[in-house]
Amino acid sequence: MGKKGWFLIMAMLLVLTTACSGANSGGNSGASTDGKVKLRIAWWGSDTRHEYTQKVVDLYKQKNPNVTIDVEYASFDDYWKKLAPQAAANQLPDIVQMDISYISQYAKNGQLEDLAPYLNQKIQVADVNENVLKTGVIAGKQYGIPTGVNVLGFQYDPALLKKAGIDKIPDNWTWDQYKELALKAGSNKVYFDSSMAADIFFHYYLRTHGKSLYNAEGTGLGYDDDKLFVDFFGGLAELIKKGATPPPEIMNQTKGILEESDIVKGTGIGIWQWSNQYVGLQQVVNRPMALAPMFGPNMEKGVYMQPTMYWTVAARSQVKDEAAKFIDFWMNDVEANKLIKGERGVPISAKIKEAVAPELSEATKQVFDFVASMEPKASPMSPPPPVGSPEVIATLTDYIEQVNFGQMTAADAAVKFRADASTILANNKQ
Amino acid sequence: MSLRNHQSLRANMTGYAFISPFIVGFLAFTLIPMFISLYLSFTSYNLFTPPKWIGLGNFEKMFTSDPKYWNSIRVTFTYVLVGVPLRLIFALFVAMILNTKSRMVGTYRTMYYLPSIIGGSVAVSIMWRNIFSNDGIVNSLLSALGATPVKWFGDPNASLTMLITLSVWQFGSSMLIFLAGLKNISVEMYEASSVDGASPVRKFFSITLPLLSPIILFNLIMQTISAFMTFVPAYVISKGEGGPMDGTMLHSLYLFRQAFMFSNMGYAAAMAWVMLIMIAILTAILFLTSKYWVFYETEKGR
Repeated sequence: MGKKGWFLIMAMLLVLTTACSGANSGGNSGASTDGKVKLRIAWWGSDTRHEYTQKVVDLYKQKNPNVTIDVEYASFDDYWKKLAPQAAANQLPDIVQMDISYISQYAKNGQLEDLAPYLNQKIQVADVNENVLKTGVIAGKQYGIPTGVNVLGFQYDPALLKKAGIDKIPDNWTWDQYKELALKAGSNKVYFDSSMAADIFFHYYLRTHGKSLYNAEGTGLGYDDDKLFVDFFGGLAELIKKGATPPPEIMNQTKGILEESDIVKGTGIGIWQWSNQYVGLQQVVNRPMALAPMFGPNMEKGVYMQPTMYWTVAARSQVKDEAAKFIDFWMNDVEANKLIKGERGVPISAKIKEAVAPELSEATKQVFDFVASMEPKASPMSPPPPVGSPEVIATLTDYIEQVNFGQMTAADAAVKFRADASTILANNKQ
Repeated sequence: MSLRNHQSLRANMTGYAFISPFIVGFLAFTLIPMFISLYLSFTSYNLFTPPKWIGLGNFEKMFTSDPKYWNSIRVTFTYVLVGVPLRLIFALFVAMILNTKSRMVGTYRTMYYLPSIIGGSVAVSIMWRNIFSNDGIVNSLLSALGATPVKWFGDPNASLTMLITLSVWQFGSSMLIFLAGLKNISVEMYEASSVDGASPVRKFFSITLPLLSPIILFNLIMQTISAFMTFVPAYVISKGEGGPMDGTMLHSLYLFRQAFMFSNMGYAAAMAWVMLIMIAILTAILFLTSKYWVFYETEKGR
C-alpha cells in the first residue's frame, strides 16, 4: 500500500478520534489547578423559571468570579428523557434539579451524593424546620435539599362560589361535606372543580386513614383495604355522573390547555392542586381568588409539607464543594431569593422567608400565608415514591379513566390496580 | 503479489478511505446499536443497573400478560389498514386533477405538497389539536351545519379518526409520485381508446390503473412502513398518554412510554424487534401478491 493511502486513513482516523474525544470532554467538568471551577447545573420548568434562574446563576458567577456555570434546562417531559441517558453514561450535571417521583430511582442507583456531611459546613441549615429537611432523606441519607415547600389545597374563586349558592368553604370541612357542596354547585350549573389527580389525592385520602399509597420499603402498596379505593374513586365518579364535576370527555379535550379550563372560563369554581401552582393560575384567571385547606376528617394526618423539588449533587461530580456552595447560595442568599420570589416553593429557611416577604406579589403572599398556616398542622411526609412509581401511577390513571368513562366499576379497578401495582413494585424486593 | 493486484489494492484503499466516514457511521450508529438492541430485548434493563438476562421473558410478557400491548397492536393496525388506503386513494385523486393542463397547476402542486413537507412536525400536530378542540373550526362547522359537535379528544374512536384524517391530509409525497407516473402514460393510449369510444371510467380502470400499478405498489409499501412507525402526531395530540382510554396508543407511543417513562428498556427493545418482524412479513405479503395485480409494460401484458 502506498504512502498516500495510509496517510489518508491516518488523517481520517485522527479526525474521527478527536471528534469523539471532543464530545466526551464536553460532558466532563471539574476543578483545574488555577482555581477556576466549572459547574454544570440542570433544571426543568417554564420560561419564567428559566429567566430568573439564569439571573441567579449570573449573580453567583458575579460573586464568585472563578466559577463558570453551564446551564441545561428543558420542559419536564424532555428533562427526564435527557437525564436518564446522561445518568447511564455517568455524565450527570454536577447540580441536578430532582423531582420527588424520581429521586428514589436516582438515589438508589448510586447516582446521587449523600449531602449530610455538607450540612452546616458548606450548606447552612440552622433556620430550616427539621421536618422539611428530612423530606430529602432516602434510606437514611440526605440525597436532596428541598428548594421550597408546597402544600395541597383547594384554589377557588369566592365570587363564583357564592353564585353557586355556597357562602363559604366551611372550616374543617369533610370529604362528605365536599361531596355535598359539589353536588349543590352542580345543581346550580357550575362545576365545583376539575376532579383530582388520581395518585396525589388518593394518597392524601389514604393518609387521612393512617395508610399510604406505597409501603415504607417501596415493595408493595401501603393499604390493604380496597374499600378505601372504592370510596374515594367511586365517590369522584359519582360526582362526574351527577354533573358536579366535568365528564372525562371534556377533561381530555381541555387537558393541558389552561385557557380552555372551566375555572378560567368562569364555569368552574376551583381546582385541587399544589400551592406553588396558585400564582400561575391566578395570573391566567385574573379575578380575586382564595386558598382553602384540604377536606377532613383527619386533615392534620393527611396534609404534609412536600418539597416542591430538590437540589441534588451528582455522585460522580468533581466539584462537589462548589456545588454545595451554590445550593447554600440558593437557600440562604437574600439577593438571590429576591429574584426567585418563592417560585420553586416557599423558601425553607425561616430567615429568607421573612426577608423576601415585602417583595412579594399579592398572590405569592397568599401562598406564603397559606403554607405558614398549614405548617404547624402538617404531619411528616411519607417516603418519596419508590422505583417503578411512574408505571404504577400510569396504571392507576388508566383504570380511573375507565371508571370515569363508566366502563369499569371502582371495585373492579381496585382489584386490578392492586394486582398490577404489586407486580411492578415486587421488582424492588431484594 | 503481482503488480496488478498491488495496484488494485492501492486504488481500493483510497476508495475505502473516502467512504470510511460512512462505514464508521454505519457501524457506530446503525449496525452495532441494532445488535445491542437485539441483545437488550432478551434482558431486563432499566438504564441504571446492568442488563439482566431473562431469555424470552419480555416476549412472553408481551404476548401473554400485557393487554395494553395487544391494544397498541390493534390501534396501530387500524391506523395503518384504514389510513394508508385512504391516503393513497386521496393522493391519486388529487394527482389526476393536477394532471390536467391548467395555468395554475404549478401553484396547486406546491400547495398540496406543503402539508407533507411540514407533515411530521410538532407544529402541525398542535395546529391539528386546535382545529379539533372544543371551540375549534371543525366543531364550529359541525354546529353551523346543525350537527352535534364531536368531543374529538374525549372519545377513543373519534380521536383515532382524527389521527387518521391527519395522515390522509399529508398525502403530498405519494401524490407527487403518482403525478410522475401519470405523466409517463402516453397520450396515444387515451386517444386510441377515445376512438374506440371508451368512457372516462373505462379509461381509468383499463388504462390508468394497470399502467400505474407498479407505482401503486411502491407507494403502498413505502406508506405502510412509514405508517407503522408514526409517532409524533399521536404523542403530541394525546399529550404523550395515548388517550383517551388508550384509543391513540400507537405501538411506537407505547414503546416510547415503556422505554422512557417506565425505564423498561429491555421490554421496549423486544417490542421494537417484534414490530420489525411484523413489518417485514407484511411487506413480503405485499410483494408476493403483487404478481397478481401489478402490471409491467415490458412484460407485454403476460
